[in-house]
This record gives sequence, structure tokens and C-alpha cells, in this order.
Amino acid sequence: MTIYRIAYKNLLRKKTRSLLTVLGIALSAWVLASLLGFNRGYEWALNRDIDNMGFQVLLTAKGCPYEAATLMLKGGTGLRYLKEDMVRGVAKNPEVTSVTAMLMQAVFDPDKGESGGMSAYLGVDPATFPQAKGFLEFKKGGWFKAPEAYEAVMGYEAAELEQREVGDPLLIAGKNAEAKVVGILKRTGTQDDGTIFLPLRTVQKVFERKGQITGLGIKVSKDANIDKFTERLYDLPDVQVVSMAQVKNTIMSLLSSAKVMVFSIAIIAILIAMVGVVNTILMSVFERFQELGILKSMGAMPKDVFMLVWTETLILCLSGSALGVCLALGLARVTELLVRRLLPYAPNGSLVQVDWALAASTVAAVTAAGLLSGLYPAWRAARVRPLDAIRSEAQ
Amino acid sequence: MSNILEARDIRKVFRRGSEDIAALDGVSLDIEKGEFVSFVGPSGSGKTTLVNILGCLDNPTSGTLKLSGTSIFAPGKALSEAELTRIRRRTFGYVFQNFHLIPTLTVYENVILPFAFFRKEGSLGDVDALLGDLGLDKRRDHLPGQLSGGEMQRVAVARALVNVPEILLADEPTGNLDSKRADEIRDALKKMNRGKGVTIILVTHNPELARAGHRVVELRDGAIRPA
Repeated sequence: MTIYRIAYKNLLRKKTRSLLTVLGIALSAWVLASLLGFNRGYEWALNRDIDNMGFQVLLTAKGCPYEAATLMLKGGTGLRYLKEDMVRGVAKNPEVTSVTAMLMQAVFDPDKGESGGMSAYLGVDPATFPQAKGFLEFKKGGWFKAPEAYEAVMGYEAAELEQREVGDPLLIAGKNAEAKVVGILKRTGTQDDGTIFLPLRTVQKVFERKGQITGLGIKVSKDANIDKFTERLYDLPDVQVVSMAQVKNTIMSLLSSAKVMVFSIAIIAILIAMVGVVNTILMSVFERFQELGILKSMGAMPKDVFMLVWTETLILCLSGSALGVCLALGLARVTELLVRRLLPYAPNGSLVQVDWALAASTVAAVTAAGLLSGLYPAWRAARVRPLDAIRSEAQ
Repeated sequence: MSNILEARDIRKVFRRGSEDIAALDGVSLDIEKGEFVSFVGPSGSGKTTLVNILGCLDNPTSGTLKLSGTSIFAPGKALSEAELTRIRRRTFGYVFQNFHLIPTLTVYENVILPFAFFRKEGSLGDVDALLGDLGLDKRRDHLPGQLSGGEMQRVAVARALVNVPEILLADEPTGNLDSKRADEIRDALKKMNRGKGVTIILVTHNPELARAGHRVVELRDGAIRPA
């Protein structure tokens, strides 16, 4: 017979109460693990989205920085156009390793889906863009080579949606022009999946935007001072310079208030769980007042009684927090769907990353909080004197 | 036979408001090793207070108590709860009116419960034999809820005896039982006293149970009434 077995059996006396306490702790552990997982996952996904852009600085026509950020991360037409010859001037900067010009055009396609939808065409330079996006892999086919070819590379989802294979023709919506699909990309989990890439010249010609671009993607050398470089770029007329660090900071600052709120909810959940633990264990101590006195008459020292009651707390907290992290691990995708609905911007990829290390940390944190709240009931129990128990029995 | 307990001029005064109430007023008493002593008397006579002091559950206000010749209580020497616990767990077993069995533990587990906190050298290796002595062998794996009141109290007696105490202190052990169940407890106590030589100190209102012992001590108004 060990103290652990006695503690476990004690908790079985009031099964419903113990179960509700465990559920309360589980709920707080679930919230905490999901929150920490989100904290880690969101930043990771954002960094991944930014890394997958293939360049560290984006130059667009002057406008709202948030729209520029959206353009970078989600694609879009942009507000204004830049002149393509700006590429040469930018490329002269010593920090620059490569520059690639892009022209984004989006048109409404009435034949898309059941009630029509937007089709995004990104004109890219076949000489520089594939190098900048060297990590892109093809499911089938490859990049177009000729600068003015009527050829298209489709993102994975775009190809699925349009039901196109390599070699199939692709009608450019509303422009009476047709391109041949020469490559289909593998899934990337980024905005590239929904994009149709065409040669820059072709897009300029089809959309009648000769000499115009919507953005310049700039790769800089590793040791470059990006801040100084971007400052210099602002000397160019009517440009908006967005560095990846800026984008990240902008989004993270948008997110920070939401984070504060969710952290507050997690803290409240933990506090409620702690109050639940105190309530359950303290009630159990009061109910067993005489019995604890009898245990002392059997030879239990105050520390034994303290440990017995504290062990009960430990069992509740370990069970609750283990259940909570299992919920967090099992329902991470559901949590993610919920979070995506609430956020102003959510990067692609897994937003809630709960792994075993995080789960173990959550169990440790919640159990520590629970044990802290179990101190007072355990101390009260340890102070019970057998004589008090006998007297209360006599009364 | 040698004295296991020697109490001299024990006084216990409780304070109620501004008034001092003497629950025990100079009680002196010897109890021999292996003796079965029953304490009787009306409610408020001081018998439970005396037995609590004899059982090292409480300190007297004044007076001395020796346990097997060793001084436990002496003037100006009040013991802490931890010191009393150390003495209690080596020497005493307790049975109270309410059984206080843990409802989710089996009979066997309830009996060996004290081992979770303290196991005296020479404690019972064969708990099943003790259960057999108390007629509980067939109830070994039952939960307390499946037992009669008499059986539950016998489990409490077995629990009190598992660490082989020198003295078994039973305070109204039949208070919650009908006469048939009370007889079961009386027989069990007699068996432990005669068979195992356990000294028994019994507090009871039941005259028949009191007569089961070697000696009946009557208390009245905090003092022993002369026989």
C-alpha cells in the first residue's frame, strides 16, 4: 500500500467532482498548449512565407504599405505601376545580387467555378524569376524559356481548379488570348499554388501594359545592410519599399493585440483551473477531517498527510494537463481553422504547431500551477490533530 | 505483572469563556501489561478525556504519565504533536465509534493502510491470519460498503492491530452497533487480549461490554469512583 494508491483511491470517492476538476485543468492546458503552439507556428509560417518570396526587398509604386504587404504575400494587382527601366538603376546598387520584375494582373473569369472568380496572372522574367524562386519544384514540365512565349506555368491549385495538364491550352480570361501550359508546380503551401505564371512580356502585351510592372523583387547579398539600402531606394521617385523585416514587423504588430487577448484568456483559464483545484481538494480535506485525524492516530506524520493530499492534487493536475495536451495535439487543425477565421492575416502552412516538447512544457507548467494551488489544502490537512477529529466525532 | 501505564494526579482543565472546567481532577491509575480495563461513567464524567491522555492523544494540564516505566508527561513537559505521534505509532492502536474506513479500498487494503505511513519492526507479516482471527477472511476483497456495521468495526480493529500495538484503545467501539454486532466486537477484543496479550483500554456505556474486561473503572465528575 503506497501513498499514491491511497491518493488515487481517494479521488475515486467523488468521481464526478474529480472528473470535472480534471476537465477544468484539461481545458486550461488545451488553451495554453494551443496558444503556445500558435505563437510558434504563426511566426514560423510567416517566416516561411517571406522566405518563399525568393527576395528580401520589394519595390512597388507608392501606396499603402499594408496593400504592398498584401501584394507580397497574397498577390494582387497593386495600386499603380512602375516603369520597367527602373530595373537597371536598381541593379547597379552594390548590395543587389539580382532583380526580377513582375507584373500582376487579376481579371474576373465568369467561367471559373460555379459563379465565376478572379484569375491571377503573374508576368515574370524567365531569365531571373526562376533563379530567385529556385526552391520551386515542378510536378510536371518546367519554366518557359522565351521572353514573349504564350506559355504558362500553373501553380498546383490553379492547375487543379482549371483542370489543366502540361500541353493543354489555357485561355486568358477576357483577353481572347491563349497560352500553352508548359509546367505545373508541386504544392508549396504558399500563394504560388493559386498563381498562373506567364512571361513578363506576354502579360504586358496581352494586358496592354508595355514597359510597366507592378513590382520589383530584389535579392541582396547576405552581408548587406538592408536598412541603408532601402533608405537609398526611397530616393527613387514615387516608390514604396517594403523589406521582409518590415512586412514581418507590420503583421506581428497587427497580431500582437490579438495575442495579448488570447494570453489573457489562457491566464484566466489557468486561474479558474487553479481555483477549481483548491476548491476540490479543500472540500475533500474538510469532508475527511475525522479520517485524516484517524490517519494521524495510525502513525501518519504531518508530512505524510501533506504528501497524501498533495499527491491527490498531482494526480488531478497530471491527468488534466495530459488530457489537455492530447486535445491540443489532436485538435490542432480545428484550432487552426478557428484562428484563421479570427485573424486579419494568416500565413500559409500550419499555424498551430504543438509538438511533444511543447506538450511536455505545458504539462509541466499546468502541473506546477496546480501543485502551487494544492499547497494550502495540503497544509490544512497536515495540521489536523487526531484529538480534534475525535472531539468532532464526539460532537 | 508489570505496569504498562502509570498515571499520577492527572488533571485536565478546559477553559470555557472566563471559566475553568476541570474535566479530570487528580486521577491516579495503574494499568498492567496485558490487562483489559473498561472505563464507564455518565457522559461528561471525564472518561474519554482520561483515555485520550492515557493514549497520548492529549497532554494533561498537570500530573505525570509513565509508559512502560518511561516518563511521557511530567510537569512543564508538554509534548509536540510530532513527538506524540512518534510515541503513539509505536505503542498504540485506536478504535473509535465511527469506523473511518476508506470506502474505495478493500478490507485488506484498509487493514494495511497504516503501513503506508509507518511499519513497526515485528509488525504483522501475515495480515490474512489477523483477518481470519477476526472472522474477516471471507471479506478480504470486499469494499466497506459491502460489509455490516460489525464487520466494518472489526476491520477497524484489525487496522488498529496490524502494527502490533502494545495497547489497544477503544473509545465507544460499539456505539453505532446493535447488540448482536456489539457482541461480535466484544468477542474480538477478548480474543485479542487473551490470545495475543494486547492491553486493552475500553471506554463504553455498554455494561455488558464493560464486564468483558478484567477490571471496570467508573468515573464521575472527573475522578475515579471507589469500587
